[in-house]
Amino acid sequence: MDRRKFVALTAALALGAALTACGNDESGDAGDNSGVTLTMLMGVNNIYPEQQRAWFAEVSDKFKQETGATVRFETFASANDELTKIQTSVVAGQGPDVYALGTTFTPTAYATDAFVELKDDDWNKVGGRDRFLPATLGISGPDKDHEVGIPFASRPFVMAYNKDMLAAAGIDKPADSWDGLRDQAKQLTKAGQYGLAIGYADSFDPWKFIWAMTTQAGTPVVQDGKAALDGANTKLAYQTYLGWLATDKVVDKAAVGWKNAQAIAAFGEGKAAFLPMVSASSKVTLDKSKVAGKYAYAVMPTIPPGATSLPSGGVAATSILSGDNVVVAKYSKHKDLALALVKLLTSEEMQTSYYKTFGELPTNQAAATALGSDPALAAIVESAGKSANTPFTGGWSQVQLALTNVVVQSIPDLSAGRVDDAKLTGLLGQAQTTAQEALDKAK
Amino acid sequence: MRSRSEEVARLLPTPARVATLSVLLLIVLGPLAYMAIASVSSDLAVARGALWPDGFHIDNYARIWRTTELARGLVNSVLIAGAVAVVSAFVALLSAYVLVRYAFRGRIAVLRALLALQSIPGTLLLLPVFVLFASAATALGVTIIGTRWAVLITYLTFALPFSTWVMVTYLRELPPELDEAARVDGASPWRVLTRVIAPLSWPGLVVSGVFAFLLGWNDVLFASVLTNPDTRTAAVELQIFGASQEGGALPVYGQLMAAALVCAVPVVALYLVFQRYLVAGLTTGGVR
Amino acid sequence: MNKRTATRQGRPLWMFLPGGLLTLVVIAVPLALALYISLLDLDQYSIREWVGAEFIAFDNYVEAVRDSHLVHAIGISIAYSALVTIGCLPLGLAAAIATQDRFKGRGLVRSVLLVPYVLPAFVVGSTWRIILQPDGIANRIFGTEGLWLNGPRSFWALVIVQLWAGWPLVYLLAAAGLQSVDATVHEAAALDGAGPWAKLRYVVLPQLRGPVSLGLLISFLHNVNSFTLPFVLFGVPSPYDVEVLPVLTYVESFQNFEFGLSVAMAVVSLILVAIPLAVYLRAVRLDTGRGPK
Repeated sequence: MDRRKFVALTAALALGAALTACGNDESGDAGDNSGVTLTMLMGVNNIYPEQQRAWFAEVSDKFKQETGATVRFETFASANDELTKIQTSVVAGQGPDVYALGTTFTPTAYATDAFVELKDDDWNKVGGRDRFLPATLGISGPDKDHEVGIPFASRPFVMAYNKDMLAAAGIDKPADSWDGLRDQAKQLTKAGQYGLAIGYADSFDPWKFIWAMTTQAGTPVVQDGKAALDGANTKLAYQTYLGWLATDKVVDKAAVGWKNAQAIAAFGEGKAAFLPMVSASSKVTLDKSKVAGKYAYAVMPTIPPGATSLPSGGVAATSILSGDNVVVAKYSKHKDLALALVKLLTSEEMQTSYYKTFGELPTNQAAATALGSDPALAAIVESAGKSANTPFTGGWSQVQLALTNVVVQSIPDLSAGRVDDAKLTGLLGQAQTTAQEALDKAK
Repeated sequence: MRSRSEEVARLLPTPARVATLSVLLLIVLGPLAYMAIASVSSDLAVARGALWPDGFHIDNYARIWRTTELARGLVNSVLIAGAVAVVSAFVALLSAYVLVRYAFRGRIAVLRALLALQSIPGTLLLLPVFVLFASAATALGVTIIGTRWAVLITYLTFALPFSTWVMVTYLRELPPELDEAARVDGASPWRVLTRVIAPLSWPGLVVSGVFAFLLGWNDVLFASVLTNPDTRTAAVELQIFGASQEGGALPVYGQLMAAALVCAVPVVALYLVFQRYLVAGLTTGGVR
Repeated sequence: MNKRTATRQGRPLWMFLPGGLLTLVVIAVPLALALYISLLDLDQYSIREWVGAEFIAFDNYVEAVRDSHLVHAIGISIAYSALVTIGCLPLGLAAAIATQDRFKGRGLVRSVLLVPYVLPAFVVGSTWRIILQPDGIANRIFGTEGLWLNGPRSFWALVIVQLWAGWPLVYLLAAAGLQSVDATVHEAAALDGAGPWAKLRYVVLPQLRGPVSLGLLISFLHNVNSFTLPFVLFGVPSPYDVEVLPVLTYVESFQNFEFGLSVAMAVVSLILVAIPLAVYLRAVRLDTGRGPK
């Protein structure tokens, strides 16, 4: 590229940036809002599609009554789709005003500095920080004074179990330790039936198991900016997780190719006794399956592998803190309106109706308390209260990927029915390096 | 008479043709048959990899229209991909005509560049194209992102290099005497192109149009960021069926397969119509 | 032949205008922007003020070549793309030739053969993922066992699925090419008493050289750049044996948020693809239209 072209390009870039910047003037939201349209980006719900559209219309109507402005909902179909939209919008400085994000993505969103950090005044505009369940605020920001994510829905992970199978084997309740769960699974494994259904080929499930076991052992994979992926407890967690199939043989061999969906299908077929790492949304599928009425939810074990009680320093986390946070884009020209929309979405009334329609737990304290008394939800509500957050670092996404990669690359061995110790150590070493580099880059 | 020339032009003895087509159809239809079975299965049965449906869930075909705005997506797709097909075939014809019939400096370079453009991954261009459209919209005070125009122009441009090449390879086979005669008579290049060349180029135009159409029909990457819910294409709507909630509900596999098959129908129908133009002999007769 | 037909008189170069303008705005300028981005230290921490991201010259390129799986990924990408492209040739030619003669239902057969190419890549990927899972129907029907979507066999799974989805492009081009085979050629072949095989080999196939070469080339380039199919089939992170380039750049971009590095990887791959492309173009003389007959 010659000099002149380079200068011209730079000029074009600067012009583009200037144009984008000009569009950023914050117009006051006071007064007449008619004609103003806010855009909110949310995950699409293909299980309750019509209900979701009706909910969009309901929110839009209510919001118009309250403020005079309209809300337009856009949906994304996959995390892939969502990330592309966020990236393009952040770079171009235009796009949706409000985004609903998965909780584990919040640290990355925070790192981009593209979303509004909530000051006291902003929290007041969404109805006060204390309207939310304290646990759900766990991953809103690095600390209380720098929060970007406003909790919107809670989806803690639990374990489904087949009541009939457990009763037939004389097991009165699921174990509270991972070793205990393995023993129960062994007891439950027989011809045509396995103790556990695990989606080893899933892109998200594997790291959640490792995260849970290491957190419970008191040696979290990330602590104070240091990665501990090559620690003894991390290795034990992988050996436990992979061992279910390779050595304990309590998982169908075919599970090396399963995603979460196939694991649910196996459990729904009545071919597995336990289905760990599912959220309340699995209820829709399971209630249409052969095990409808025969299954229940329990919290997952909280005592790490190799232990019989919670070690000192261990956290009895039942689940990662999971669900959706909403964030407001800094480039939004209607910040106050956006906050007003969030206030509406997190009100007790809307949160209750959201739960009733979509089965996702409220983050609004009053709405959650009202639900707590429902026995069918006991385990899920309990797990919501005992969830722990993943570390708040902009590098978390890379750590998560490194954790999953260890499982992905172990699958050929796993399929042959073994966990190669030397190879696992090697993979963990690589993962440690990658994760630490990402954490070092975090600002 | 016709049957004799057809007999002469015959390429394969019937048994060979039947055998070849049987193998090819088996390859193509095998997985499609599986999709058809899956489209009337429950989501659980599909997830399990069941060979046979657990019941006959024909209602999947009814539900797809309510799960997403599939009908609107199809309309958008037909409009966008259709426009891309027609315009790109025409623009490609213009460029190809110059490239084949006229000599100028950099001709070979242009031809090579057209092919080189094919090697640029779409993911590389996505972000810059978005930024460009966003900046242009702000500068001109118009809406670009979210309109059908945005995707239309993008697909049109992406289709052009290939469409042009198709036309180049096709026009080369046209006897040059055709337009030379017209040019000697004093016809302008435009007139030669539209009156002499274009009518003889149907197979080429159809192929480059079909290709451009499919490009617009199948793309998800650009459509998902350049459209809004009203202008979304069918491919983007289809993606919604495959969505799954982390740690929970299954994708609606049955509906996904049903919707995918339904979305293939318009293309098959269009090709059924246009393949009539893929007929030998159009290039001859004109000269003699 | 070209010398005689190509003329310099009254060149209507304006006919390039619509195509040229579009290419400039939608491809050339964005490509220049992308090249510029590849020189920036652009990540999740700097993306919002991306114009101000640190200019680090070729550091991203150095990192891409030295520290990432780029070289491995390019190897996989080129190997599988080449295999798929080679596989497209017999399938595409056979389909075009077998649907050339008029027979009842020809239109329908011609259309149906196009269907794999019509289905969006993620639908093809989702379907084959289910077919190829360890307890899926492929293993049951063919009596095979074990993994197709991870481990050494995953490479072949990728070849098979990509081939299934992509071969109709060659068929489409070959079918169009067949139309320009002059009727007199058939007459001549008939007079010479050439059998069907001899006619195909010596008369028809040479005429298809242009369109089929084009189809193979485009098919190769599309495979090298194909993201959705491997992404849906194998997920991320990729199993080692199918760690193809587009998925690698995707992971850098959207999982690791190393946007500058990701673009640099894409550019390196572009250059590496351009080299065999140039060699191929010289060999088949596609651009000059003069074949080594």
